[in-house]
Amino acid sequence: MSDSLPVTDADLASCDREPIHIPGSIQPHGVLLCLDPATLEVLQVSKNIAELLGIEPGAAIGKPLRVLMPGLERDLSALPGVRDGPPQYLNQVELCGKRFDALAHRSPGGIVLELEVCESGAEFRLANLYAPLEQFLASSRAPDMSPAQLSATAAAIIAEVTGFDRVLVYQFDSEWNGNVIAEYGNGRLPSYLGLRFPASDIPSQARELYRKNRIRIISDVDYTPVPLEPLENPLTGGPLDLSFSVLRSVSPVHLEYMRNMGTAASMSFSLLRDRELWGLICCHNREPKRAGFQQRSVCDLLAQILSLELAALERSSEAQHLLALEAIQSRLLRAMAASSRFHYALAGAAEDLLGLTNATGAAILHDGELLRVGETPAEEQIFLIADFLQQRGQPEVFSTHALASLLPEAENFRETAAGLLAISLSKLHRNYLMWFRPERIRTIAWGGDPSKIAVYADGARRLSPRKSFEAWSEMVRLQSDPWRRSEITAATELRNAVVGIVFRRAEELAQLNAELERSNRELEAFSYSVSHDLRAPLRHIAGYAELLSDDSGAQLSGNGRRYLAIIRDSVEFAGKLVDNLLHFSRLGRNRLVIEPVNLNEIVHGVREGLQMEMGDRRVQWKIQTLPEVKGDAILLGLVWRNLISNALKFTRNRPVAQIEIGWNATQREAVFFIRDNGVGFDMQFASKLFGVFERLHRMDQFEGTGIGLANVRRIIERHGGRTWAEAEVDKGATFYFSLPIQSVTSLSSGGDESRA
Amino acid sequence: MSKLRPILLVEDNPRDLELTLAALERSRLANEVITVRDGVEALDYLYYRGEFSDREKGHPAVVLLDLKLPRVDGLEVLERVKRDPELRAIPVVMLTASREEADLIRSYHAGVNAYVVKPVDFKEFLEAVRDLGVFWAVLNEPPPGAVRPSFRRFATGE
Repeated sequence: MSDSLPVTDADLASCDREPIHIPGSIQPHGVLLCLDPATLEVLQVSKNIAELLGIEPGAAIGKPLRVLMPGLERDLSALPGVRDGPPQYLNQVELCGKRFDALAHRSPGGIVLELEVCESGAEFRLANLYAPLEQFLASSRAPDMSPAQLSATAAAIIAEVTGFDRVLVYQFDSEWNGNVIAEYGNGRLPSYLGLRFPASDIPSQARELYRKNRIRIISDVDYTPVPLEPLENPLTGGPLDLSFSVLRSVSPVHLEYMRNMGTAASMSFSLLRDRELWGLICCHNREPKRAGFQQRSVCDLLAQILSLELAALERSSEAQHLLALEAIQSRLLRAMAASSRFHYALAGAAEDLLGLTNATGAAILHDGELLRVGETPAEEQIFLIADFLQQRGQPEVFSTHALASLLPEAENFRETAAGLLAISLSKLHRNYLMWFRPERIRTIAWGGDPSKIAVYADGARRLSPRKSFEAWSEMVRLQSDPWRRSEITAATELRNAVVGIVFRRAEELAQLNAELERSNRELEAFSYSVSHDLRAPLRHIAGYAELLSDDSGAQLSGNGRRYLAIIRDSVEFAGKLVDNLLHFSRLGRNRLVIEPVNLNEIVHGVREGLQMEMGDRRVQWKIQTLPEVKGDAILLGLVWRNLISNALKFTRNRPVAQIEIGWNATQREAVFFIRDNGVGFDMQFASKLFGVFERLHRMDQFEGTGIGLANVRRIIERHGGRTWAEAEVDKGATFYFSLPIQSVTSLSSGGDESRA
Repeated sequence: MSKLRPILLVEDNPRDLELTLAALERSRLANEVITVRDGVEALDYLYYRGEFSDREKGHPAVVLLDLKLPRVDGLEVLERVKRDPELRAIPVVMLTASREEADLIRSYHAGVNAYVVKPVDFKEFLEAVRDLGVFWAVLNEPPPGAVRPSFRRFATGE
């Protein structure tokens, strides 16, 4: 396929070091002269100058060119001005009855003049070369042209221009393996379309040479190399650098490779993108064959156009893909912005979340909470992946299509996550967004068994390339489809957005906290002022009313005394309201004293305390054993006191009051209830029940300031629970409150306690 | 019992002053009641300064001190009294409208002898003043230290 060959193993690595740019010899289809740049005197010459031009090499050395080849001054007048890099075409010249293409370039060892023998009958005119270029450009403008189609068109045109049996378009992957993406053949050589060739087929120094010099030619695999005379360049003191020489002799290993492939002649053109080697166009012929300079130039031009077209196709496809991803991304951003919890927003937009990276599953790990979308590994396996990412230093973006090669345990969940794309959402915490792809078992058709890239030939120490290029299939397991660059970019951009949102949320929270603190301080100031300023006038009214009653009560009329009594009652009630309000505000502010609380003891104590109020009423109690919980004993006592005294209050018109207290546990909370057979209430007012100073009954029916249930709600909320109620008018009411299940510490002993 | 020492009542609000005096009167304490209207005057009295520079020598039986006072407030008066070895033994009762825990805590830290939140209800107030008066103005020899018997018991024992 190319210069030189094989070698993957360390002992074969010498191929990578073979100095292919200074072979010290050339192929025999032309003469090479190295000239002193100042005097154009011959410094080195290829020995075949004797056969081709009838000049003894020894006689040529030291002679100025005009002496050696008189009459060519005009044709070669551009010679002194040639630059380094690929050879410049000077002219066609005639020497000794033969026609030569004269090419020259500047090398560190002098001006290299190459006289390449013209193929007989290969009279190519520019007009003939214009047509194929025009044809290619026309086809490249056709809509919906795929890279493979475009490459196939180029291969066909190049085959037509050069007359070679087979033309391959060969694309490198990220590991420098080559895939044959297009082929044109006339059937005289086997088809290699779709095959993959290992990276070692074209060693790194060969790739570097192809990057600099886009064309190389081997016209006859069985050629005899022609040495240069003298071998050492007098200007550099070393062998002449033939990197840009069209006649350069190639590695014997490569010639053997070509013979094993059954090709006698080859020629290749480099496909470059952004000055990097992207692929090759390789022409092969079963018999020795050579294309002239003009044909090669057309092919090179075509190869360059193909490079540009392929790059443009890929860019536009990538750009279209990115555009689609951006639309998805902006939908995700909107969803996140509209939600107070971005991770729920992302998990809720499952289709977009997966679409962003074309994944089949995703997981969001945020502050210990794990949300899963689509097909994902099990929870503990995701935590395992998080640990793995942690160990790798929490990279901002991480992607692999072969997770099991890095994390052996991943083999167990290859069906959901053979491929992983993950972004880290926090520098401090183990917060990740992960995308998963399942295993995709693929078959790779290699051009020959790549594990037998090279063999030792006949016990010699020299390496020999593999003999067979029969398609050899390899199954690739434990890998997903690789992540596209645009998908990784989209994930990276989403990361920036999420991190921005998380950061902004944190700032907002801090600001909210500051505002809350300020409003808390204001509330404190407010209650302080209520405590002092509102109670004072009430106290004065009460005090003076009392004094008035004491001093002049006797002089007042019956009505006057009633008015005075109303004043005293009202002010007493107002005082209670103020005190309750203060109490309520303090419930929200004082620190909770959390300790184990035996609710049975509390309920029992509250019932004892209410005995007085019950008088001789008949109350049927049904009380379950309650658990021990973690909480503030005094405040939970207040809760039960409020609830039980309410139950007693609203059942007092019943001949027999029935009050039931119990609880049950769900997965998340412990729910407590107290049920009575009292007057109940209309459920449409249920939402008002727990508000401050909300009353559902007339004052003359049931007394109270309406603060009791507000206190209950506030206390329960501060314990992390909820409060609610169910009732029906005249059919009794059930009040519920819950505590987080974690606060239940044990189920206290003591059997059901019931009594009539 | 020797000559009763006076009660020092520090109260800036004229109505509270009148009501407190009425309450003291109704509890039939024989002690003279000296009223001052802010913290500065209270300290003047205790340190024989200003208009009290030539008053009769001797500490009051008890200081009934409002918390919120103009110029120098009640807490500051309390702290000055309890810091001074000369005055420390004088019982100080905070008689205040404040239910703020912070005030209560600060008062106890300063060494207050009793802390009474003035109830809205006059009858309750009357009872409180009577109990306080009996305990601190009549029965308080020597200073009680940590002993704080229930007021109720003394009140019912009257």
